[in-house]
Amino acid sequence: MAIFRPEDEAKVRELLTALERPVELLVAHGPEETPLPGARDIDFGAETERVMGELAELSPLLSLRVEDEPPGFDRYPAVSVQPEGRDVGIRYYGLPWGYELSSLIGGVIDAGRAESTLKPESLERLAALDRDIAIDVFVTPT
Amino acid sequence: MLLAYRLALASPRVRAAAIEATEFPSLADEMQVYAVPKIVVDGAPAWEGAVPERIFLDRLLAPAFE
Repeated sequence: MAIFRPEDEAKVRELLTALERPVELLVAHGPEETPLPGARDIDFGAETERVMGELAELSPLLSLRVEDEPPGFDRYPAVSVQPEGRDVGIRYYGLPWGYELSSLIGGVIDAGRAESTLKPESLERLAALDRDIAIDVFVTPT
Repeated sequence: MLLAYRLALASPRVRAAAIEATEFPSLADEMQVYAVPKIVVDGAPAWEGAVPERIFLDRLLAPAFE
């Protein structure tokens, strides 16, 4: 079964025309993709790869890479959105679907922009940052 | 989540991860995730709920996280 319904696929294709540079979607598989109780028939890693593969086909500027336990990942399955193949520290841990898939697509579009969409004052504050910050955002798909 | 990603894209000092809470329940428990989005900064539970860009940065850059 396709991930995107035909009308959604057309919308996503349209959104992805905003990409101004190539973006690589790195899917990371690991050893501990433990099925959840009650969801035993879902292979989260395989589904993540399928979703990202279908997404990658919707723009010539998107590409998919799949690796087993690449460095820099805390858990699996995971997706790293990489502008021009560079790891800028963006991760999605888990299977992206529903509302979270929409947010991830939003992240892909931002990664494909040459200029940040943040406000100028936010960029100034970030430029003044003198320490590393790790942000984790817990989400649910519904 | 999108805002966190934008910050990571804009600064080499920021990394941003979205974590699907239902798939990683023990980690979500550990980080006291009772509502989403739940923001965790440098491994410490920080706040819940979507906030505007300026407020997000205010909280992120607050001395409490230094």
